[in-house]
Amino acid sequence: MEPIDIGLAVTGGLLVLVVLGMRVAFAAGLAGLVGLIWIFWSKKNYGGGDFLWALTVATKTAGQVPHSKVSSQALSLIPTFILIGYLAYYAGLTKALFEAAKRWIAWVPGGLAVATVFATAGFAAVSGASVATSAVFARIAIPEMLKIGYDKRFAAGVVAAGGTLASLIPPSAILVIYAIIVEQDVGKLLLAGFIPGAFSALIYGLLIVTLALSLKNFGPPVSGFTWRERFAALPPALPIVFVVVTIIFFVYNPFGGDAWGTPTEGGAIGAFVVFLMALWRGMRWSEFKDALLETAKLSVMIFTIIWGVLIYVRFLGFADLPGAFADWITSLTMSPMLILVCILLAYAVLGMFMDAIGMLLLTLPVVYPAVMALNGGEFVSAEESTFGMSGPMCAIWFGILVVKMAEFCLITPPIGLNCFVVAGVRDDLSVQDVFKGVTPFFIADAITIALLVAFPWIVLWLPSQV
Amino acid sequence: MAGAAQVLSDDSRVSKLDRALLQLETFFALLSGLAVFALMVLAVISVAGRNFFNAPLPGYVDWIEQAMPLIAFLGIAYVQRNGGHIRMDILVGALKGRALYLVEWITTFAILILMALLVWGTWAHFLRSFDFAAPMWSRDSSMDIALPLWPAKLLAPVAFGVLCLRLVLQLWAYGVAFLRNDPQPVAVPLVVDAATQAAMEAEHVSSRED
Repeated sequence: MEPIDIGLAVTGGLLVLVVLGMRVAFAAGLAGLVGLIWIFWSKKNYGGGDFLWALTVATKTAGQVPHSKVSSQALSLIPTFILIGYLAYYAGLTKALFEAAKRWIAWVPGGLAVATVFATAGFAAVSGASVATSAVFARIAIPEMLKIGYDKRFAAGVVAAGGTLASLIPPSAILVIYAIIVEQDVGKLLLAGFIPGAFSALIYGLLIVTLALSLKNFGPPVSGFTWRERFAALPPALPIVFVVVTIIFFVYNPFGGDAWGTPTEGGAIGAFVVFLMALWRGMRWSEFKDALLETAKLSVMIFTIIWGVLIYVRFLGFADLPGAFADWITSLTMSPMLILVCILLAYAVLGMFMDAIGMLLLTLPVVYPAVMALNGGEFVSAEESTFGMSGPMCAIWFGILVVKMAEFCLITPPIGLNCFVVAGVRDDLSVQDVFKGVTPFFIADAITIALLVAFPWIVLWLPSQV
Repeated sequence: MAGAAQVLSDDSRVSKLDRALLQLETFFALLSGLAVFALMVLAVISVAGRNFFNAPLPGYVDWIEQAMPLIAFLGIAYVQRNGGHIRMDILVGALKGRALYLVEWITTFAILILMALLVWGTWAHFLRSFDFAAPMWSRDSSMDIALPLWPAKLLAPVAFGVLCLRLVLQLWAYGVAFLRNDPQPVAVPLVVDAATQAAMEAEHVSSRED
């Protein structure tokens, strides 16, 4: 068999293992290792005595991957961001944020829902956990919205949708993972996430205001807070702003001059502030230990997929499957933009069945080179490219789009986890209720994604300043 | 999601071993969590030293790179024990009883094959940098302040070895469950549907909000 045939066979086998329910990290690692053995053995024409040789070489090749790939400074951002997230629960930020948002913006039509969206978005950004954020705000915000007469399904939809804003606004672990897998600048990707994330929140807000103005029986605005009350609500919520701003400033200094340091340092300073805040709020050792264990758990899970997939990637290099796939994609007669849209839709479907991180890591090694080829190659200039942007810019744009797609899947049936978790917190709501309530946001997201595809500069303006 | 899992226990030998191994795994996972915290402290010292005391931390990047394997590997068996490694559960979520245990046994066995080979592969990687005769037993070292690399490399086979123990234990438990067609298997993570999983997640995070 030719290497490419081995590549296809092994990738088919990998899919079978994944569907069977094998843990993605190990399925990818095993596929990679078996593939390496197969390829090396085929080079010796499958001689009986050569199998052991192929096994040894392949195992030693694969054995280098875990240590050499995880020992990188860029990857250290991931556990730091996760730590921020888990400490954030103990820093009393959720209620503080909701209170501040309520006092400042609840006077607009549909105000309490708008305030909820911004508070949820802010906490989601810092905690990085969409599902958990929705769970927390379901307890804080839904009762308040119900009290002043909001429809309970809509209130649930607001919280479920707000949680999805987690993964674009910095700190975003998933964008770091993307950057590492496609070997692009981590800082630029983090920066690129900010505007689309804020933009998504803004679209949600506008949607709510529009609904409030056009529908009767919508929850009334909440006003009457004095300026003194407003300012009093700010300090406890400040760490959230501090974390986001610090990370941005450690990548890019908007006032000119050098960035303040590396993204890793920015993340660590953010974590430190949240840690102090949690201490100040009386975090106990048992709680701190819990946060550390949870951080370790999520970090290990992510790192295991990373090295597992990288063993598979090592094999793909020998089999040249990504090259063949890219050739096939570029040979299609459809318009490149249509192909890109099809790829994004495929992610929407896949995301219904798999966790975002697993989905991205598993597919990007093959899909990403194809998208780059579609744009004219990794080193293409903006003028000669298909989508009108240079190779690195296309990488950033595509990254933001797929991450947004993955988040989108958290509120789509059949297994939009955010909707399940909100229904799980509230006994009076069924999952169908929440899916119904989230529908307007679903449409808003579709519009946001269409805008990001049609106007890439929304994504690319900020990173191109660096 | 990583947070949600349920492992039952009883008085059987496999369950006792499960809990014994869990103690070691939890200790390793906690070390990994502490390494994350150390990473944070290190960065704060580095930034403060550079900006306020004009004294950058020597070998900052080297230390980070040495700490990463600690974070990345040590908790691997703990996560496997709690069913925290991501998978697609659309098929196993629909299976019940013997069919479920059979599929779980097969995929767990596949992981064991991989990890046993990787213990060998990562051990070989470690051996290439380890030498009793060399200074600090080390044949290679980090770029800036020449830390020996072998301790970090050793973490991979050690953590993977513990994972292999865990996998053998899970194979045993799935085997018992298959033979007895046990409706409530012990010592293995139970498959939960999206609703239950979400409810557990919600429970977990809300307990710390109050």
